[in-house]
Formats: sequence, structure tokens, C-alpha cells
Amino acid sequence: MKKDAGEYTGLERSSYSGTENLIASVIFVMLSLIVFLPILLVFIVSISSQDSVTATGYSFFPKELSLEAYRYLFHSETYLARAFINSIFITVSGTVIGLILMCPLAYALSRREFRLKNHILLFIMIPMIFSGGLVSSYMVNTQMLHLKNTYLALILPGLCSTWYILILRNYFRTAIPESLIESAKLDGGRHPQIFRLIVLPIAKPVIMTVTVFLMFSYWNSWYPALLYLDSNHTELYPLQYVLVNMERSIETITKDAQYMSGMTSYTPPAVTIRMAMVVIVILPVMALFPFFQRFLKTGMTIGAVKE
Amino acid sequence: MKASKDKYKRIPVKSMKRETGELSLMSLPAVIWYILFCYLPLFGIFFAFKQFTPKPGESLIKNLFINSRWVGFDNFSFLFRSADMPKIIFNTLFYNSILLVLGIAIPVILAVFLAELHSKRLSGLVQMVTVLPYFLSYVIVGYCVYGFLATDEGQINHLLRLFGAEAVQWYQSPQYWRFILIITELWKSTGYTMVIFLCAITAIDRSLYESAMLDGAGFMDRVRYVTLPQLQPTIATIFILRIGSILNSDFGLFYQVPLDSNSLQPVTQTLDVYVYKALMQQANFSYSAATSLFQSVVGCILLIAANTIIKKIDADSSLG
Repeated sequence: MKKDAGEYTGLERSSYSGTENLIASVIFVMLSLIVFLPILLVFIVSISSQDSVTATGYSFFPKELSLEAYRYLFHSETYLARAFINSIFITVSGTVIGLILMCPLAYALSRREFRLKNHILLFIMIPMIFSGGLVSSYMVNTQMLHLKNTYLALILPGLCSTWYILILRNYFRTAIPESLIESAKLDGGRHPQIFRLIVLPIAKPVIMTVTVFLMFSYWNSWYPALLYLDSNHTELYPLQYVLVNMERSIETITKDAQYMSGMTSYTPPAVTIRMAMVVIVILPVMALFPFFQRFLKTGMTIGAVKE
Repeated sequence: MKASKDKYKRIPVKSMKRETGELSLMSLPAVIWYILFCYLPLFGIFFAFKQFTPKPGESLIKNLFINSRWVGFDNFSFLFRSADMPKIIFNTLFYNSILLVLGIAIPVILAVFLAELHSKRLSGLVQMVTVLPYFLSYVIVGYCVYGFLATDEGQINHLLRLFGAEAVQWYQSPQYWRFILIITELWKSTGYTMVIFLCAITAIDRSLYESAMLDGAGFMDRVRYVTLPQLQPTIATIFILRIGSILNSDFGLFYQVPLDSNSLQPVTQTLDVYVYKALMQQANFSYSAATSLFQSVVGCILLIAANTIIKKIDADSSLG
């Protein structure tokens, strides 16, 4: 009965019989398909022709395919290219600065000889359960730090997360042999050096995990843009926020048109373009997902297993 | 520092001081960030107890502490007597309690069955696909939902017409949205929670299953007497954290997914949407701040209460 151990997940010996395994597999495949359908629909609409959408709506089986929406996006609208660059800039700089802030702190907190360790731990954990609320952070960010209508407003507020710091700290504490650090110290190594030359190379997996989470959170972020960017600063808009606005503006166009044409149904122009933009946002996430999955899983597991 | 452990005895005081200095320096940048973005805004709690009347051109601190009148708990009593507030709190609690149950039960069940699949590759593929929606923003999720529900081109109305039924104006029909929002949230988060439980299942000691099988336990017995008890700490952790945020709702889900449609407001307005709208649309700083404070305080109390209760029942499952 015992087969190659690598074939099994979870249990050494699965309790499914052959038929049960088949049924379970079919159910899970169907479930995955259902989960994937909405994303697939967006993708198919983005490559449907405008006429096809007008005739059959957002359909899984368009009558005619067309790359017109993408052609339009890549050629005419320069501010979309700008938004794409903005998104990449915000994602890269947010991730890099976030790591530069969080990793050294996590290292310091992982050292038993650090006398302020417990004070700083408490200091970073209080905001986890108690915060000043939206009004106060909005007022501080706009009136005291003057972040309104700047890139900084989209980058700074999301840099650190106590959750990630604790994940990093746990890894530094458990995965790095104490003897390694002690002997580096005997050789006269200072903490910043030990951190850079010994700890960072060993901790690559957990740092990758936090990197991936940070990247996704910055790539997906739109709430700071909604709060801190005015409509006359479109040059700062990230992709996600362009999508928010596109929705709004097309809603108003539709309403006006319905009003003027006496409530008859009206097809807003370029519906496929919106979906093409959604695809452009999703595509990098999906393309990188298989490579990132291993790191994501590490992060999710560490997050669930308590200290 | 009292050196109780042997290995610290050898370290001279001077080098201890130097090391603390180095480590403090490494902590400093992040500590400054926490001061600016977490602790500085804490004084804003005063917004909740003031009638905020700013004078243009004056500093925020002066406007808040000198130019605004102290009104005590007036903001809170006004809020809770307003017509909308009970409905908003009900909505928040309604969605969160349903999602608290379904958002844990469904992933646990799926993880239990997925862990037994023979093919590791298939299991990996299922995990990858079902986790994907978790890493999409609510803006994107909103568009995915729109693809199905748009009045003219939406997939569902298309199907309804195909079968001769009347098309529905989804974004004007509040009666469907409790269901739609719950399905949307489950679609987005089930895969993620499932993988967390799956990892916990993989970490269960194999010998427990083997001895259960020797005792003649069937599949359901093993789930009931081995898997579920072993998952209990993970379930408890997630449960406590979610209880602590029972008054918080994801702004994106309730604002962006229904496209901020006015006619849907009775069922989509939750506390976080109110906090945003009071601030950005009505410029009512005091009410917005009072609502946030209410959420924060209740969440804090519930988190501690849930943790204490679970600690009494089973000390291993609490957050410590």
C-alpha cells in the first residue's frame, strides 16, 4: 500500500479510497474553476470586441475577439502609462524603505541582550489594538506632515507593520544559531555588521516573504490615494486609483446619457477598455504568483502559528 | 541588568552599554516612523470630545485645543440617537458575525478534505487558484462583481434574459446585497484561510493518526478526534483576532464593491464607511472621530474578554 511518500500531502497514508479521491479531486477542481471564473470573465471581456459586448453583454463566449482595448490603452492615453509608472515607483520604493526600517528593528528585538527590547516590543504592539482613528491620522498627515498631493502620502503611512516585524523577529530568533552571532562578537563584530553580513544572508527566505506581502499591499493600495490625492493631481494617480475614478466617471456619463435620452438603455463607450485596465493590474500579480507562492505560504504559516 | 544566566556574567558592563547603543540606533528609524504615524495621531482622540471649529491659517493643535469647545460625551450621545447609527451598527455586526462563522467553518472543512487528496500537485494547484483573489484589491474585486451584475451587459442579467426572466437592476436593489457581499467576501478570503488551516494540519504529528488507525478509527473519527482538536489553537487564534475587530469592516468591500450606490446604502453602510463619509464628504470631524474611538474601545475590550474566556477554557489556545 505504501507508495512514494512525495505523492501524498498531509497524511502519510490518505484515508481516501480510489473512488473517494476521484470524487474529492473533481469537487476541488470545480471549486477552483468557480473561484477563477470572475477573473476569467474580466479577461475575456477585455479581449472582446465592442460590438460583441453590445450584442451579448459581458459574456464568456464573445462573438468576436479584438485587441482594440489594449491598442487604445497603449497608444492614446498617456496618463495611463504615467499611472503604471507611478504604481511601480510606489511599490518598489515602499517595499524597499519598509524593509530598511523593519529588518534592523526586528533584529534588535531578536537580541536577548538588548535592554530596551521589551519596552520597544510593547511600543510597537499598542498600535495593533488601539489607534487614533481615521480623522486624526488624516489631520496629522495633511496639516502637520503636509503629505497631501505628494507621492509620500502613498508611501509613508504603509511602511511598517507590527505583524511583519514580529514575523521577522521570530525568524531571526529561531533560525539563526546563537553561537554564530556570539563568535562574530568575540571576533569584534559590531551589531550592524553582524546583521548585514551574517543575519541577512541566512534570513533570505523570511525577508522574501515580507517583501512579497509588502509588494502586493503597495500594488493593491488605493485608499491613501482616495484620501490624499485631489482630482487636479492626476499625474500622481496609481493604476488602482485610476480604476476607481474610471468607474465613477463612467457611472456619471451613463446617468447623464440616460437622463438626456429619456431613460432608454445606453451603452457607455469603451466598456472593454475598463476591463483591459483591470487585466493590466491583475496580470503582474498573476504572473509573479507561482514564483511567490512558496514565500506567501511561509508568511501565512508563521502568521498563524503563535509564538 | 541583573545577569542571571551564566553566559552574560562574562560580558563586561562597558560592552553591554555599547551593544545597547548599537541596537537602539538600529531600532531608531522604525521607532521614529511609529511615533509619526501611530503615536502622533493619538492626540486626535480629543476630536471625539470637541466641537471642532477650526480657524483658517492656524495650526492644527491650536485649532483643536484652543479654538474648539470641549463638549464631553455630546458627540457620542448625538451619534447614538441619530436615526442611521443603529442601522449602521447592525449592518457591521450582521456581516461580521456571519463571516466570523462561515469564514472559519468553510475553510476548516475544505482544508480537512483537501489534506487527504492523493495528488500533491493537484492540491498545490487548488491552493494557488483559491488564494489568488485574496491578493486582488477591492477595486479589482468590484470590477469582477460588476462583470456579473452590470445592468445591461452583466453576465447574470444576460442569463436571466436568455431564460425569459426579467433583468434585475442589481445596483439599485438592496434586497440582494447582504447575500452578494457575503459571497464576495467568502470568495476573496476563503482560500487564504484554508491554506492557513492546511499548514496547521500538515504540522500535526503523524503518529496520532497512526495510533488512531490502529484503534480502528475511520475517516470521520480521525477528523473528529485528531484533526479538529489539533486545529483548536489555530482556530482560537483566528477567532480571538476577529472578535477584536467585530466592529471593523473592510472599507473596500462596503464602499467600492457596491460602487458607492446610494440606493444600496441601507444594507452596505457600515461603521468604516460612515467614518470615511463623515470625514471626507460631510467634513464632520467630531462624529467621525467619535465613531472611530467607539470602534477602538469596544474592539479592545472584546479582544481582551475573548482571550480571557478562552484562556479559562483552554490555556493553550489563548494568545498568551
